Amino acid sequence: MLKHTFKSFNHFPKPLLGDWIIIVVSMLLIIWLFKSLWVSEDATRLRIRLGNQVYGEYSLKQNKALTIQGKVGTTLIEIQQGKVRFKQSPCNNQYCVHQGWLHHAGQAAICLPNQISLELIGEKTQFDTLNY
Amino acid sequence: MRYFFACICCISLLSCSLKEPLYHNQSYVFGTLVDISTYGETDAEGQNITATILREFQNLHNRLHAWKPSELNGINHQIAQGNSARVAPDIADMLKQSTQYSVQSGGLFNPAIGELIQTWGFQNDEFHALSIDTKKIATLVKANPQMTDLIIEDNHITSKNRHVQLDLGGYAKGYALDVGMTMLKNQGVKNALINIGGNVIALGKHGEHPWRVGIQHPRKPNAIAALNLESGWAIGTSGDYQRYFMLDGKRYCHIIDPRTGIPAQGTQSVTVLIPPQANAGVLSDVTSKPIFISEPNKKQEAIKRMNVKDVMIIQENGDILITPSMLKRIEWLEPDAKTHLQILQSLS
Repeated sequence: MLKHTFKSFNHFPKPLLGDWIIIVVSMLLIIWLFKSLWVSEDATRLRIRLGNQVYGEYSLKQNKALTIQGKVGTTLIEIQQGKVRFKQSPCNNQYCVHQGWLHHAGQAAICLPNQISLELIGEKTQFDTLNY
Repeated sequence: MRYFFACICCISLLSCSLKEPLYHNQSYVFGTLVDISTYGETDAEGQNITATILREFQNLHNRLHAWKPSELNGINHQIAQGNSARVAPDIADMLKQSTQYSVQSGGLFNPAIGELIQTWGFQNDEFHALSIDTKKIATLVKANPQMTDLIIEDNHITSKNRHVQLDLGGYAKGYALDVGMTMLKNQGVKNALINIGGNVIALGKHGEHPWRVGIQHPRKPNAIAALNLESGWAIGTSGDYQRYFMLDGKRYCHIIDPRTGIPAQGTQSVTVLIPPQANAGVLSDVTSKPIFISEPNKKQEAIKRMNVKDVMIIQENGDILITPSMLKRIEWLEPDAKTHLQILQSLS
């Protein structure tokens, strides 16, 4: 019996075109599922805008300090495992710094003088825009 | 089996290529953040139309600036010297309309109090705590600048009162919403959303669903509620949390009570919803001010005067006063908001 199995292993049939298609498609499917599901499960991302440009998008699942040169000076932004804040700002009012940590999808903080905005993006945005 | 794999292939290809036809453009105008989204346009079309609108907003801002050289600023200079000034037809119309709303509000909406706003330091890109000059404030209130002091004839404007100093800070952003809306329609855009410093107007839908707008919590960095903004509707909020300064533990916001000359106290925010009409944007900006300024027992009267149905007021103590029609439309995102609700029955 054992011998028989070994034998059939030796004579493993050469994969046909259809087999290759199945293999390739399954791998693509796995990559696609991984990308789409992985991103939305932990979809705690941060979008930073500077003036009318998107400055960059960052994962929130990290510890990172960012230094951004804005309209009136240098702003310090701190990302810390799932939350983000304006750590230092050159503006007078310091409203942005006082906003503190942002955690949830849909939260946003703006520094008008330095024209920098932080926006937390989640798996499902709760709304298209914010009335304030 | 073959068909099954063909299907999977198609689906995975589609999911890669299917990008929502949503275009988003953002800029800083009117001293605040302006944000325009279009849905269903190509990125190139979206870019084109939103950039044109943003340019027009910048142009309006330059003409209506209250404290930097502008057409409106020039008018203010002439008025202060007792002279007559030339006024462009569209600005003349804005001033006439503002006068109407000022009268309707019993003087609580008063764009003629530029001197008071200047004295409080709110005619600045940034403001800070300052010592309060009560004597000067009393003099400025006594001077009693009113929109009805203006005489506009044949593209010229004069004022019976030299203390009238125009500041359209409570009107221009709403006006711009209406201008933007008209431009979008003229360009054949079917779906768009314009947000000027928190005042929002909607056109069409976001795909299958209406545009969705979050309402900022006045004391927390998140939205307190959200609602669907159907085509043509506008939403506006007056709050004490965007432009203010703190002095001796007291909050002084940019909304000044023209009767006392002192920033209105006791209210954190007033949100109004305006149904589709030609000047929905203007109404979303103007009507919240008199409600914000009115004393707690006069708020209902102010709502009636300004003829708005959908109103939410957040008081200093966290109480949320809301009209029944507004309550129906709102979805709470802040769990404990519901425990602070008080229904405002309409005055008959």
